[in-house]
Amino acid sequence: MDRMKICVACGMPMTEVADFALGDVEKDYCVHCMRPDGTMQSYEEKLDSLSALIVRTQGLDQGVARNAARNMMARLPAWKVDEADEGTD
Amino acid sequence: MTKTRRQLQKEQTRKHLIETAFRQFAQHGFITVRTADIAQAAQVSHGTVFAHFATQEALFNAVIEEFGLRISRRLHELAVGNRGLREVLEAHLKGLREFEAFYTRWVVESRVLPDSTRDTFTIVQSTISFHISQAAEREMDAGEQIPIPVHLLFNTWIGLLHYYLANDDLFAPEGSVLERYGQELLEHFMRLIKAR
Repeated sequence: MDRMKICVACGMPMTEVADFALGDVEKDYCVHCMRPDGTMQSYEEKLDSLSALIVRTQGLDQGVARNAARNMMARLPAWKVDEADEGTD
Repeated sequence: MTKTRRQLQKEQTRKHLIETAFRQFAQHGFITVRTADIAQAAQVSHGTVFAHFATQEALFNAVIEEFGLRISRRLHELAVGNRGLREVLEAHLKGLREFEAFYTRWVVESRVLPDSTRDTFTIVQSTISFHISQAAEREMDAGEQIPIPVHLLFNTWIGLLHYYLANDDLFAPEGSVLERYGQELLEHFMRLIKAR
């Protein structure tokens, strides 16, 4: 496919049809950021799953992983507003 | 949506600044390069750099994000093709070799970089580890590799690479560490995890 999008929720490059939620290339979020019903995960859901991914793939401390995930999400178009509302934990 | 000429020009300047910063960091390191040096090398005014990147930290992050995007695109293409672990690690090595000077600077200086810069790199490494784990788990399930938790598999691999890169002056003072030792390290790693 000739288009290349970046998932607005997690930043993953989407290059294949299978990368897109529901295999729909009109969607702006990827298959990993989709709920079972095809809608996009919430900020909290994404923060939880991204933090868990960092811990699983690199074994980092949970708090460090959560901060890194939050920091990265703050720079993605989908979460700019939510991040400001989120406060700290 | 068609972009205006001004928007296109803005994007091009940003790209040019990222490329220039990339080369400057690779050559001199993150800490010693000042934004003024980047402006000079890119042949733009110092103000232009700040118009695109409000802080030096923002520029660090933009450059690292670009590096991560390039590496993960390469790995992503491979991972969707159901390639073997060896091929994915070879692609990782190949990707790192393209940016070896830059990556080595990061390995050496990461502890003194701003937190957000380190966070950006953490995300990049998670993406890489995820792609490696997809291939590794298929081979673990097939009984070809010994079962190892993903984080230990990745950290063992990356620890090996980073040790050689951080001490490149001892291992390959006049050339590329990954060119000289990459294949040997890969063979060693594959032997370590092979099912007996």
